[in-house]
Formats: sequence, structure tokens, C-alpha cells
Amino acid sequence: MSGAHLEPLVKSASALPRAPKNWRTSVISAIFVGFVIALVWSWLYIDMTLSTVFGGFSDIWNLILYMFPPIFDNFPEALRTTLETIWMALIGTTLAVLLSIPLAFMAARNTSPHPAVIAVARGIIALTRAIPTLVLAAIFASSVGIGPFPGILALGLHSIGMIAKLFTEAIENTEATSRDAVMSTGAGKWQSILTTIIPQITPSSVGTSLYRLDINLRESAVLGFVGAGGVGFLIQSELRGLDYQRAISAVTVIFVAITLIELVSARLRASIIGDHLFSPSKQTPRSMARVASDQQKISTALAGRQLTLPWTYERVLRASVGVSYLVMMVVAFATIDMPLLSAFSLVDDLAKGIAQLFPPDFETAGSELLKGMLETTAIGFIATALGLVIAIPLGILTARNIIIRRVVITVTRGILLLIRGLPELILAVIFVAAMGLGPVPGTLALTIGTATFMAKLIGDALEEVQQAPREGVSATGASRVQEFISAVLPQALPNLVSQTLYMLDVNLRSSTVLGIVGGGGIGFLLISAIRGYETQTVGAIILVIFAIVYAIELLGAFVRWMVE
Amino acid sequence: MLSNSGGAVPLVSLAGVSKRFPNGTLALDNVSLDIPEGQLLSLIGLSGSGKSTLLRHVNGLLRPTSGVVEVNGTQVSSASNRELRKVRRDIGFVFQQFGLVGRTTCLENVLNGALGSLKGPRYGVWSYPKILRSQAFDQLDRVGLANQAYQRADTLSGGQMQRVAIARSLMQRPKIMLADEPVASLDPESSAQVLDLLLRVSIEDGMTVVVTLHQVELALGWATRIVGLRDGKVVLDRDATTLKQEDVMEVYQRVDSSLSNESDIVSDDFASVVPAP
Ligand SMILES: Nc1ncnc2c1ncn2[C@@H]1O[C@H](COP(=O)(O)OP(=O)(O)OP(=O)(O)O)[C@@H](O)[C@H]1O
Ligand SMILES: [Mg+2]
Repeated sequence: MSGAHLEPLVKSASALPRAPKNWRTSVISAIFVGFVIALVWSWLYIDMTLSTVFGGFSDIWNLILYMFPPIFDNFPEALRTTLETIWMALIGTTLAVLLSIPLAFMAARNTSPHPAVIAVARGIIALTRAIPTLVLAAIFASSVGIGPFPGILALGLHSIGMIAKLFTEAIENTEATSRDAVMSTGAGKWQSILTTIIPQITPSSVGTSLYRLDINLRESAVLGFVGAGGVGFLIQSELRGLDYQRAISAVTVIFVAITLIELVSARLRASIIGDHLFSPSKQTPRSMARVASDQQKISTALAGRQLTLPWTYERVLRASVGVSYLVMMVVAFATIDMPLLSAFSLVDDLAKGIAQLFPPDFETAGSELLKGMLETTAIGFIATALGLVIAIPLGILTARNIIIRRVVITVTRGILLLIRGLPELILAVIFVAAMGLGPVPGTLALTIGTATFMAKLIGDALEEVQQAPREGVSATGASRVQEFISAVLPQALPNLVSQTLYMLDVNLRSSTVLGIVGGGGIGFLLISAIRGYETQTVGAIILVIFAIVYAIELLGAFVRWMVE
Repeated sequence: MLSNSGGAVPLVSLAGVSKRFPNGTLALDNVSLDIPEGQLLSLIGLSGSGKSTLLRHVNGLLRPTSGVVEVNGTQVSSASNRELRKVRRDIGFVFQQFGLVGRTTCLENVLNGALGSLKGPRYGVWSYPKILRSQAFDQLDRVGLANQAYQRADTLSGGQMQRVAIARSLMQRPKIMLADEPVASLDPESSAQVLDLLLRVSIEDGMTVVVTLHQVELALGWATRIVGLRDGKVVLDRDATTLKQEDVMEVYQRVDSSLSNESDIVSDDFASVVPAP
């Protein structure tokens, strides 16, 4: 200790205690270097020079100019297909929820009948997530015919991956005493599960389903690109017909629908997860009147020993949400023409469709397959990195505890919200229309999607950082920028790393389908193979997509484990 | 040895019951115990002595590694799931942590107690027959919570929750009531209230009761028979009226006391090694 003071200054720095350097840190640095190399390689591979990017922006700007003034004479068609998009998302999500419930009970350790069942159920859940919705929709469309039906099937199957996974976690997080208690009254296993577990998982499950509905609405908006129903077909054909003034009106309709539904669902989710559909945050005369009327109802019911629950305000509210949902489902089924298939012939068709994919044919596509795979990976990496670079300043601009001017925050948040209302693939199809086929428009579309999504995350993460270290640093006389770098950033960093990994995962999945709209990557190969009925090549491509997605998942899990 | 069994056929009988958990813990070590109908028995012992494990064997939530558990003429230890459900219908079980479904109303929680006598899963008040709903109201009335019938269970106080849990058990019209530290998470006043309630309803309904308790005074004032466990063995088994506080305290002595060598001595023989007061 005392010796350190006698040493030259430079040396004394290294004599200070340092964070223990172990193999983990070196592996993490190696991974980091790996990412950087992957990035540089990706950049070179898709040949994304600054001039192509800026040239691209001017093309896009020109296209936007062509879009004005919009012509709204296609409005009835845009509205009809947008409604179809919404109904598809609703039915698809419902289908996924219905399939997820039994799967989740089989996958959850505390309810599953057997460990083997757990393994199988978890396998199915993971498998459904591996193939992107658009790919599933393209395959289904070729086996059961085009229209909204294959789209619904695709949404229903792919969403199981997320919904059932979160349901399983919810079931495993329930407390066990109530179930023991009900079991010990002599109730059977399923009686106890229904009475004790369902009420516990309901709020989170409804929240999950609503959240997935938002995602599915965006997915559903682009299913038309592969002939699987919804507004996507209209947008794509108008763009292809160079009918930009009508394209923008169709885009506007779906954009408004997505934004509105997202606002409503966010509101509902917040109140359901907070477990109070109706909570008088302020004591207004109206809320007080409601409470009084509830109490009146309860005491009347008690006085009459009423054997059903009284209709309190909250209960009425819950019931009306449920009834609205049912009404929407009825309308959805009435509106969408579903093929009158028996379940048997449907399964039969699907089984045949899947059987045709085998044995996968890697020969015909040959080197194209490798090229597509590399391009897909490259797009994913660049979009993530570029998106992150753009997201950081945007995120900072939205953090209430860093930016002082409210106007800046409101404007930035507003712009982000607006851009998020456009699904990435719709951006991609517009960019492709402006810049022509190739990986650059696809990459730009994913980059914008990433940037807006990450900006929100970064803004939220920054708002959550603790204030004490900031004050500590400011008290030493540091400038605002110094304070930000040394006190705010380190706190938000771990979260940022894990979100970036998540984004990379999402982007690699998205970039497997970009090619379907001509945005580069393996999707182009896929859609041409599907259109050319080269089913065994389709099988090979799906296996490749599977491999990419799986590799990313493993990598992500490994990095998270290392960082943890 | 049979001094506390009264000679009649016991309602609950454990014969040489041992339980070793998969992790190697020997939680019950050759326990034999007969409980005649109508008895109010209190199980005492240090934390980890096996009280909960013993109770869970009586209603078949656990199966013994060796030995036989018989309740009301049925061998619980080897019963099929169906037989087990049937036996459990006669056994009310009250947990320290209440085990209520927090997000549903008190009425629904009490109704859950009737599941054993119904076929198929039920969800919500409306799915139970009217007569059961009416009975549920009656049971809530008995535990003094009829006014909370429509209230969500997670908005109740701890004492109220335990009373709802008792009402749920009463829905079964059980012959036997098992209570595992029913008052351990309650304040003294609620504890007294809950124990009084338990005593009252057991006498009214002629139930046989086994309660595990941490508080020795409560056990002494309450039970007709006290059984002490230590390290999974019965080390005390006495009529509560002839028992003194000091005798009971022996149960709580650590293994390293002078008794450790003789800790395999069971039931009444225990009295002979208790130093005279
Ligand atoms: N599921 C289990 N797996 C492994 N060991 C267990 C299990 N349940 C209980 N044990 C062990 O068995 C022994 C007896 O536990 P038990 O819960 O019956 O004690 P207890 O007398 O009820 O204690 P307490 O007063 O703390 O509730 C303890 O050593 C405990 O760790
Ligand atoms: Mg216990």
C-alpha cells in the first residue's frame, strides 16, 4: 500500500485495484471484436457506400413527392382491406391463444403431466417461432389457396412461439399454496388448476395477447405481399403500377388503424396489468358517485343473500370489454371469407404441403443459397448497428431527465410514434419502389425500424437510471456532457447491450423475409421458388432460414449468459 | 401405549411411518400414532421436526417411504388417485399461508371447497349449483364474514383470510380438520380469534382436529392431547391436562442435549426421562 506512493505516477495507476480480469472478460471482448469484424464484412458484402445511401434518400424523397397530392378514390377498397387486415390479426391471435393454452399447460413444470411432455411441448413452441409469419403464409397460400385464410393460419401458428412461451412462464410463476389447498379438499388435478391457476394468470395473459395483437396487426398488413390477404396486396400493386398517389392513401389508412389500435391496446394493457380496469386516480364527483353506487349494489346483494356477484362498475367494464371482443370476432368471421374446409381436409392439405418440401433440394439453388444467406446476415448486422447509432441521440432527446426542453421531447416522441406506425416491410416495399431491387433499400427500412424502436428503449432506460450517482458527479463540477458520459451511460449500458442483442435477433429474422418484397437476402430466392413450385428448393431455403435463426438464438443466449 | 387412543378404532392411524425426501432428508422416522374420533390434538416441535410432513401424509399430499397411513378405514399410503380424492373430501386442511385464490371473491373461494364433490372443472360462482352457493354463504356467516362475500380475497386482512380458508374447509363437511400452523402469520389477537373459531366449529360439527402450533401456551390451552416431534420422531405424547409447560419445553431442546442418545424413545416412555419438576 504505502509503496505505491513511492512509485512513479504512471506505474501507480496500474497498482490500483482493478476489476478482476478473468476468462469471461476476454471472451466478451472476443465476441465484441467478432461483432465489429462481422459488421465491417457486412458493409463490404452488400456494398453499401455512402453515395448509394444518400442517393437512395433522394430517390425516396422524390417518390414521396410523387405521392402528393394523395388520391383517395381507392378509399373504400383501402378501408375494406384494412378491416380485413384487422380481422385477420384478431382471428390469428385468437387462434394462437387457443393453441397456446394447452401447450403452455403441458410445457409448464408445475402443471405438465410428464417431463417428456414438457420437452415435446417446449420443442413445438420453439419450432413455431423459427419460421417467419410471411414465409409460413407463402407456403400455406400455395397449399390451401390465396386469400386471408393462409394468412390467419400463419399468424396463428407463428405467434404460438411468443404467446405460449409467456403463458408458460406465467403458469410457472403462480403460487402453489392455493392449489395445494384446493387439491386437499378432494378436488381433482384439473379442477384445482382451473380454479387456482387461471385467475392468477389471467391479467398477464390478456396483456400478452393484446401485445401480440399489436404485432400481428403489423404482420397482417404485409401478408398481402404473398397473396395471404389484407391491405398489403393493394399497397404493393399500386406501387408496382406506379400509382403513388393512391398508394399513399392506402398506406395512410393502415397507418391510422395501426396507431389507433396500438393506443387503445396500450391503455387496456396498462390497466389490466396494473390489475384495475377502473381505478379512480383522482376523486372526482363522478368517481365518488360510482363508488357509492357500487356500495349500494353490494349491500342490496348482501341483504338479499344474492347468490351471484353484483354488477359493480368494474365488473360491467370487464364484461363490456369481453363482449366487444366477442362481437368483433363474430364480425370478423362474417366478413372474412373462410374456405369451407373441414378440419380434416385442412390438416390433409397442410400435411401434403409440408410433405412436398421434402427431401430438401440444395442443388438447384446452389451457390445462390449461400449468397442469400450471407446477404441476409449482412443486412441484419448493418441494420442493427446503424439503427443503434441513430437511436442513441434520438433516445437521449426523448429522456425527460436529461433534456430540459419539453418541446424537444414531445416532438421527438411524436415523430418516433408516427414512424413506428408503419410496419418495416411497408417501408421496405416503398423504398424498393424508389430505389429498385437490392439489399440497400431493405437495409434502410430495417435500420429505420430499429432506430425508432431502440430510441424508445434507450429513452426509457435513461429515465430509469438512478439520480444519486449523477448528483455525485455533478457535485464535482462536471459539465452536463461529462456527467452524462460518466454517470448516466454506465448505468444504462447492460440494458442497452441486451436490447441490442434482442434487436439483432429480430432483424435477422426480418431480413430473411425482406427479399419477398425485393429488399435483398434469402427471401427473394424463397418467393421465386414458391412461385415456381420448386417445393423441394423451398424446403432447403426454409432449413437455411431455420439455421440462421437458430444460430442467432444460440449466440444471443451465449452472450447474455456471458454478460450475466 | 394406547392410553390416548381410547381403545376404539382410531380415525387416523400411522404405523411405523418413515419419510425420506429425494434429497436424503429423513423427515419422519418410524412414527406411530393413533388418533380416535373427536380428539383435539396439537402437534408441537422445532422448526424442521417434521410436523408439516406428518400432516401432509394424513391427507395423502405425501406418500411415506415406509409404513402405513390409514384414515377412516382407507389406506392413504397406497390409495389410488380416486380413493385419495375420496379420503380428502373428509379431511379439511388449513394452511399457514391460507391458500386463497387472491383475485377471486370470498364466495368463490369458499365454493372451491365443494369441488371434491362435483364432477368436472368449475369456474366462477355461476358454475356451482345454487344449493352449494347458499351453503357457501352459510359457512361465510359462520366464520363471521358474510359481509365480505363479494369482496376479493386479496383485499382481506390475514385473520380474515384464514377464516375464509376455514369456511372453505367447512364446505367439505369434513370429519377431520388438519391445520398446519394456522396462526403463525397472524398477530396475537387474530390468532386467538382464528383458534377459537377452529375450536368452536370442530365441536359444533364433531370434527377430529390435528393442529400444529409453534406457541406452546396456545397448544396447552387448546388441545386435549399434545404430541411432540423431534427430528421426525415422536418424543412426547400426553394428555394435555396432565402436562406442564416444562415437560413441553423438553421437546424444544436441541439434539445435543442429554436426551440425544435416547431420542428414539417414543410416546409415554418419554415421561420417564423428563426430570421431575
Ligand atoms: N419437499 C421436501 N424436500 C426435501 N426436504 C423436505 C421437503 N419438505 C420438507 N423437507 C425437510 O423435512 C424436514 C421436516 O420438514 P417439515 O416441513 O415437516 O418441518 P416442520 O416441523 O413443519 O417445520 P416448520 O415448523 O418450520 O414448519 C425438514 O428438514 C425439511 O427441510
Ligand atoms: Mg411446517
